[in-house]
Amino acid sequence: MTATALPAPRTGVEVGDRAATAGRPPRSENRAGWLFATPFLALYLAFLIGPVVIGLLISLFNTTTVKAGIGSWVGFSNYADVLTNADFWASMWHSALFTLLTTPILVLLPLLFAVLVSRLARGQWFYRLAFFAPYVVPSAAVCLIFAFMYTPETGLITNAFGWFGLTAPDFFGSTSGAWFAVVLLTVWWTFGFNFILYTAAIQEISEEVYEAAALDGAGPWQQIRMITVPILRPTIGLVLILQVLSSLKVFDQIYILLTGGPNYTTRPVIQYIFDTGFSAYRGGYAAAATMVYFVVLVLVSVGWFLVRRRNNSANA
Amino acid sequence: MTQLSRRQFLAAGGSVSLAVALSGCSTPIGSSLTGAQPSTADVIFWHLFGGGDGENMATMIEAYRESSGTSVESSLLSWGNPFYTKLALSTSSGRPPDVTVAHLSRVPLLAQAELLEPVADQFAAAGITEDKFTPAAWEKATVDGTTYAVPIDTHPFVLYYNTELAQQAGLLDETGENLKPMRNSDDFVATLQAMKDSTGNEYAAVASITVDPSTCWRLFLMTYSGLAGPIVEDLGTRVTIDPAAMEESFAFLQGLTGDLGLMPRTATSTTSSTLFSNGEVGFLFDGVWQIPTYRDVEGLDFNVVPFPALLGPEPVAYADSHALVVPASPGRSAARTEDAVRFVKGLLDQSSTWADGGHVPAWLPVQESEEFLELQPQSNYTEAAFNAVYDPPGWYTGAGSDFQTAMGSVVASVLTGATDPAGGVDALTSSLQTFSTARPPV
Amino acid sequence: MATAVAAPAADTDRSGTRRSRRGGEPDQSGKLFNRLAATCVTLFALIWLVPFLWALITSLRPNEEIAANPTNPWGSNWNLDAYSYAWNSSPLGWWYVNSFIISSLTVVFTVVVCSMAAFALVNLNFRGKYVLFGLILAGLMVPVEALVLPQFLEFRAIGLLGTYWAVILPSVALPVALFVFHSFIKAIPVALIEAARLDGASWWRIYSQIAMPLSRPAISAVAILTFITSWNAFLWPLLVLTQTKSQTIPVGLSSLVGGSAIQYAETMASAVLGILPLLAVFLVLQRQIAQGVANTGIK
Repeated sequence: MTATALPAPRTGVEVGDRAATAGRPPRSENRAGWLFATPFLALYLAFLIGPVVIGLLISLFNTTTVKAGIGSWVGFSNYADVLTNADFWASMWHSALFTLLTTPILVLLPLLFAVLVSRLARGQWFYRLAFFAPYVVPSAAVCLIFAFMYTPETGLITNAFGWFGLTAPDFFGSTSGAWFAVVLLTVWWTFGFNFILYTAAIQEISEEVYEAAALDGAGPWQQIRMITVPILRPTIGLVLILQVLSSLKVFDQIYILLTGGPNYTTRPVIQYIFDTGFSAYRGGYAAAATMVYFVVLVLVSVGWFLVRRRNNSANA
Repeated sequence: MTQLSRRQFLAAGGSVSLAVALSGCSTPIGSSLTGAQPSTADVIFWHLFGGGDGENMATMIEAYRESSGTSVESSLLSWGNPFYTKLALSTSSGRPPDVTVAHLSRVPLLAQAELLEPVADQFAAAGITEDKFTPAAWEKATVDGTTYAVPIDTHPFVLYYNTELAQQAGLLDETGENLKPMRNSDDFVATLQAMKDSTGNEYAAVASITVDPSTCWRLFLMTYSGLAGPIVEDLGTRVTIDPAAMEESFAFLQGLTGDLGLMPRTATSTTSSTLFSNGEVGFLFDGVWQIPTYRDVEGLDFNVVPFPALLGPEPVAYADSHALVVPASPGRSAARTEDAVRFVKGLLDQSSTWADGGHVPAWLPVQESEEFLELQPQSNYTEAAFNAVYDPPGWYTGAGSDFQTAMGSVVASVLTGATDPAGGVDALTSSLQTFSTARPPV
Repeated sequence: MATAVAAPAADTDRSGTRRSRRGGEPDQSGKLFNRLAATCVTLFALIWLVPFLWALITSLRPNEEIAANPTNPWGSNWNLDAYSYAWNSSPLGWWYVNSFIISSLTVVFTVVVCSMAAFALVNLNFRGKYVLFGLILAGLMVPVEALVLPQFLEFRAIGLLGTYWAVILPSVALPVALFVFHSFIKAIPVALIEAARLDGASWWRIYSQIAMPLSRPAISAVAILTFITSWNAFLWPLLVLTQTKSQTIPVGLSSLVGGSAIQYAETMASAVLGILPLLAVFLVLQRQIAQGVANTGIK
C-alpha cells in the first residue's frame, strides 16, 4: 500500500546527545556505536540508496531487464527518448490526475468525520472499526470485491445508480467510468488512515479550550471552526502531503482493477515503468523513466519541506 | 559471492526462522528460503487456457499423469501481457516452470532474450522432430536456426458460414456441405452479395470490429499478406511496408463495410455472435477457437473453411500457434528436464483431445490420423495451417501485444469509414514508427 | 507504513481519558447538532461496512441464486461450498504461509535492526554519527516504491530473486521505524543509562535490558505497522515471487481478478479468505493499531 516517508520538520528529531562531550569518543564506544548501526547502515545503503545509484547507472545503458549484464553505453539517449515519449507523459498525467481527484476528498472528508465523531460520547470503537478496517485489507481483495460490485447489470454499485434513477457509467469500458471506479475504491480503502491521523490529533486538544469556548457561548459549529480546525492546521498539512505523495505513487488498484485501461487511458506512471521495463524488457529506458519520476517525487517532498520550514520560522 | 556461499548464507538465515521446521526440500517454503530450485512436483507447468480449452488441457494432463505416473503441477495464469511478463520475470529469477505454453508469435522475443532452452537435441531423442510438424509452425518456432518451441496447434482466422443459408443462396457444391470454390476477391464479393440477395438481410457477413483490435488486425494482415511480405523486419526495427499493397487491402476491406454494404461497420463481439447465431448473417470472420461457442447454439448449422485467395494469387491464413517451451533455468536437473520432455511428448500424443477446441494439431501423426480426419469441421481447414502467416517477428509483436492493439485500431478506423485507405496507410505507418524507432531490448 | 516521526514515550494508551469533545454542558442547539452528527456518521459508517458484508453474503449464496437475483441478499440456501471450492482451486494455504513467514521475519528484522541503530544514535558517541544521521534523514524522502526496476536488477545480480529474502531485506532498514525508536529511546532518562554503565553493564546489555523494555510502545507500533505493510505489499512481491506456490496472499488473489465471470461466490469466498487473517488481527488489536498509526504518523 501507500507507504510514505517524510521528515516532519519542527519535530524533536535531533541527534539525541547523551554523551555530547567534545573531542574524540572513547575507542570502545566508537566501536560499539558502529556495531550497533552497521546492520541498519548496510541494508540502508544496499537497498535504499543502492537502487538510486543503480537506477542512475542503468539509465545510461541499453540494459535488458531479463538478461544478464548491463548492455552497451548509450549516454543520455534514454532520457531523450523518455522525455519525448507521449505515452510517458500521458502516464505522468494520469498519476497527477489521480492525485487531483483523490487528494481533496481524502484530506477533507476524513477531517469532517473525525471532527464529528470526536463530538460523540459513545460508539467510538464502532466508527474506528468501520472506517479503519478497510486499511488492513490487501489491495487485491479490495479489487476483487469492487470488481464484483462494478459488474455491469448485476453489480451492487451498478444497481445502486438505478435506485437513484441514474445510469451507471461503464466502469471498465469508458475512461470516465474507470476513473470513477478507481477513485471510489481508493476513498473507501484509504479513508481510515487519514481518519485515524485526525482523530489522534483531535485528542491532543485540551478539553479546557472547548469549555472556555462554551462558556463564551460558542455553538458547536463555531467551536469546530474557531478551535478544532485552526489547531489541526499542521495535521491537515501533514495529511495533505502524505496523501499527495502516496497518490502520486498509485499502482495497485489501477493495475489490478483495470490494467491501466481502457486502452491505457488510466495507466499510472509506475505501470508505465512496469510495462516498458518488465513486460517489454527495456530496462535502460524504464530506468530513465524511473529517474525522471523519482526527481518529481523528491521535488514535491523537498518543496513541502521548505514551505514548512519557512512557515515554522515565520511562526516562531 | 559464489553460488555455494550464497546458498550457505541463505540456509543459515533460514535455519534461524521458525519456518525451517516446516520446510522440506519439496515444499515451496524450503526453496523460497534457500534459493533452491522449486520441486513441488515432477513437472511444473504453466498455461493460459480458461473455458473449454482449459478443460481439454486438464483432461490431457490428467491422462498423462495416470499413464506416466509423474506428478504435474499445472497453473492457469491470466492471458496476454501479464502471462508473458510473469514468465520472463520467473525465468530471470532462475526459477521458472519446467514447461509452459507460449504463442509462437511471442517466441522470437523470448528466444532473443535468452529465456528459452533450445529444444532440438533432447526432444529429437524423444521422437519430436521437424518432419512430424506442420512446416509453417516449426519454422516459426525456429529463431536464427535454433528451434525453441514445440508447436501443439495452429489456430487460423477462418470463414464461418451458415450451411442452411448458403444452400438457399446456391453457394454450396454438389456435396451440399462445402462452398463452391472461390478464386479471388471478385468471387468472394460475389459470394457475399449472393448471400445478401438471397436472404434479404441487411448484411451478408460480420466480423467483430468494435473494441476488438485483434480481430481487425487479423483480418487486415490476412488480406495484406496475399500481396506483400512482412511489414517489419530485423526484429521489428526496419519498416518494410508496401504502401500500394496496403492501400489496396484497405480499399478492399473498406468496400465490404462501405459501398458494397456487405458487412456492418460497427459490431462488438456480442453483436457478431448474435447476428451469426440467429442467422441474420450467413458468414462470420473469426478464429477457429470460437467453434465450441457456436457448436452449442441450437438450430445453427454451420461449417468452417479457410479463406480463399483474396487479393493475391494464393490463399493466406492469418494464424498463431500455441507451443510448449522449456524456460531456461541453469539450476534445473537433468532428471527434471527429462520429465519435461516426456510431458511435452505426452501432450502431443493427445493432440486429438486438444483439437476439440477448434485448433489444428501441429503434430502430424495426429493431424494425419483417421480420428482427426473424421473430426468436423476441424479437418476442413488443415490447409490453413500450411498457409499460415504469423505476426511479423519483432520484439513488440505477437498475441495480446500493444502492437496488435495499435495496428488494429488503425484498421478499425478504416473499416468504420472514419479514415480513407490512403489515410489508413499514413496512420498505420506513423503508429508503427513509435514501435520501430524505440531501441529494441534484445 | 506511514511517515514521519514519532510520538513521545509518554504518549501511551489514552483510552482511560477518552472523552467526547463537546465542551461543557451542551445547550439545545449543541444537542441537536450532535444528534445530527451522530446520524450522519453512523449512516456513513454503515455504508462503509457494505463491501465487507456484500462479499460475505455473496460468498455464502449459490451462484444460480446470485445470477437470478443479484441485489437481493436474502436466500434460504446459504452454504459454505464456495469456500471449499476456493480453498481447493488455488494454493491459498501456501499463500497464507508465505505471507506469514515474510511478514513475521520482516517484523523481527525491522524491530531489531532499527532499534539497534536508534540506540546507537541516541546513546553512543561515535565518529561519523552526524553524517549518518543526516543520511538517514534524507532517506525519508526517497520514494522506494518508485525504484522497483533498479531494485529488481540489483537483486538479479545478487541472485536472490525468487526467495523470501528478496521481499524481506529491502523493507528492513526503514528510516521511519528508526525515528520512532529514536524518539522513544531518547526519552529514557540519561541517569538510568549512566548508572548501568557505572555498574559495568555492556552496551548490548543496556540496549537489550534497559532500552528495549522501556520502548515497548515503539516496538508494538513498529511491529504492527510493519506487519500490515508487509502483508499487503503488492508490486514488489509480484515482481520477485513468481512461482505459483511461493506467492503472497495479495499477489495470489490479484490473479483471480477478471478471472471466471460466473463464479461469483467462489471469487468472493477467496476475497473473504484473503481478508480474514489481518481483519482478525485488527479486531483483536484495534486500539493498538490505531495508536500505532497515530504514533508514527503525526507530529
